[in-house]
Amino acid sequence: MESKDKLPKTDVQAALPRAGQERDEDLRQRRLVFYEHDVAQLDAELDAYLELSSARCALLIDREGHLVTRRGEPVSSSVESISALVAGSFAATKEMARLLGENEFTIMFHQGARDSIQLQLVGERALLATVFDQRTNLGMVRFYAQEAGRKLAAIMADVTSRKDKGPELGGDFGESAQAALDKLF
Amino acid sequence: MVQINFAQKTVNAKVVYYGPGMSGKTTNLEVVHQKAPNENRGNLTSISTDGDRTLFFDYMPLDLGTVAGMRTCFQLYTVPGQVYYNSTRKLVLQGVDGVIFVADSSPGSMEGNLESLRNLEENLNEYGKSLATTAFVIQYNKRDIPGALSVAELDAALNPHKVPTFEAVAATGQGVFPTLKALASVVLKNLMAEAAQSQQVSAALPAQRALPVAAAAPVPVGAAAAQPPMRATVVPPPGNPTPNTVAPVAPAYPAASPTAAGRPGLGQTNFHQRPGTKPGGFSPGVAPAARPAPVPQPSRPRAAAPAVKAPVKSGNGRMVTIVGAALVLGAGAIFALLKFL
Repeated sequence: MESKDKLPKTDVQAALPRAGQERDEDLRQRRLVFYEHDVAQLDAELDAYLELSSARCALLIDREGHLVTRRGEPVSSSVESISALVAGSFAATKEMARLLGENEFTIMFHQGARDSIQLQLVGERALLATVFDQRTNLGMVRFYAQEAGRKLAAIMADVTSRKDKGPELGGDFGESAQAALDKLF
Repeated sequence: MVQINFAQKTVNAKVVYYGPGMSGKTTNLEVVHQKAPNENRGNLTSISTDGDRTLFFDYMPLDLGTVAGMRTCFQLYTVPGQVYYNSTRKLVLQGVDGVIFVADSSPGSMEGNLESLRNLEENLNEYGKSLATTAFVIQYNKRDIPGALSVAELDAALNPHKVPTFEAVAATGQGVFPTLKALASVVLKNLMAEAAQSQQVSAALPAQRALPVAAAAPVPVGAAAAQPPMRATVVPPPGNPTPNTVAPVAPAYPAASPTAAGRPGLGQTNFHQRPGTKPGGFSPGVAPAARPAPVPQPSRPRAAAPAVKAPVKSGNGRMVTIVGAALVLGAGAIFALLKFL
């Protein structure tokens, strides 16, 4: 008798993983829209994480390098430049992982004389950058970041996958943006 | 991918300057950085080699200002043009909303332009996009070079999609802003079209849950002002011998010629930032919310920590148990061995 796993795959069975991949790709391509309550939830998680880890500052960044939200002490430089560099750095690391046969590295750490930064993947679409100094240590940050990462990933998954969108940009946004472009250039 | 954040009142779009090596992508960005008003430009960050060739990307945020209540910002990136750096070029394209292809008009550069355009299409395809579906304009740069390829010739070879094209001499600033303006316009049009489409889809779906967005939308932006503003890094003035800084001066045009005489290849990697604006000007920091400013106390409160630290203690307890069990078993084994002997 032929075992079950040796049965030839039907078209439906063969299509299932492909459908799953297409769905993942679809989610990755979807535009990110954050509403007030999304960011409030993310902020609450980041605040709790900062309190426990005693880190200085936490930035949640999407993988394209756009900042989602920032909590904690202000950083001393352009937070948008930092976001772009974090995303670029993570993307480069992913390529490195791929060359080594890994899917991706989920955590990166850079140590400085005064401040250090840990970068961590949050779900499919976001990165958590934690800046910390001598008031805490890497072990504490890494320990609490794992739990925080899971909670943040759950919120981000809701943001990414929801279909019933709230209000989009107003109808006058396009015209106003064009007027702003004319003024700037 | 455009990010819309109704909580922070921001719209962020990503624009990438693409093209063959030495075609003038970084020069375009430098001109935007020099000539954009102070309140609109952020820092120009470059990751380049010792010889000033782009290694990973150049980056600069350009703030369009508050548009219909949303701070709208274009994140401008360049890619390294050299063929060798394709993997990093591909990474920069991730989530791109619009591409400016900077073509070199110099005689003999057609093959490089074509190769770069093919490469752009391939890399976009890897992200499920294509030139036909992405906001895209072409800039024919270095129009002042003697014997430059004709626009008709360039058009025939490089513009099968009939997208808007612009003649430019980026080193003098000519044609830089019209190119960027045209692309920004297409990106915003695409954004509005997507939003309209999304609204139609939402209207077609049954209202499964009511989002509290209506009440949340009018956020008082003034609440953000409580936190100290972000400070832009100030780079030493031109002439400073520090290798990691570059004077914000447009390179002389001859140096940007394809001979690469003034821009050797691989060398020490530089990371430098050029100041965007005067302190207190364009501050790209997001609106910080209710988290209190750092309290001037010697140590941060850790009252809440013990409850979560418990697992660490229980981990230690488990370790003691395991070590104890191992010792007992070891002693038993030795005893049995001695008895056997």
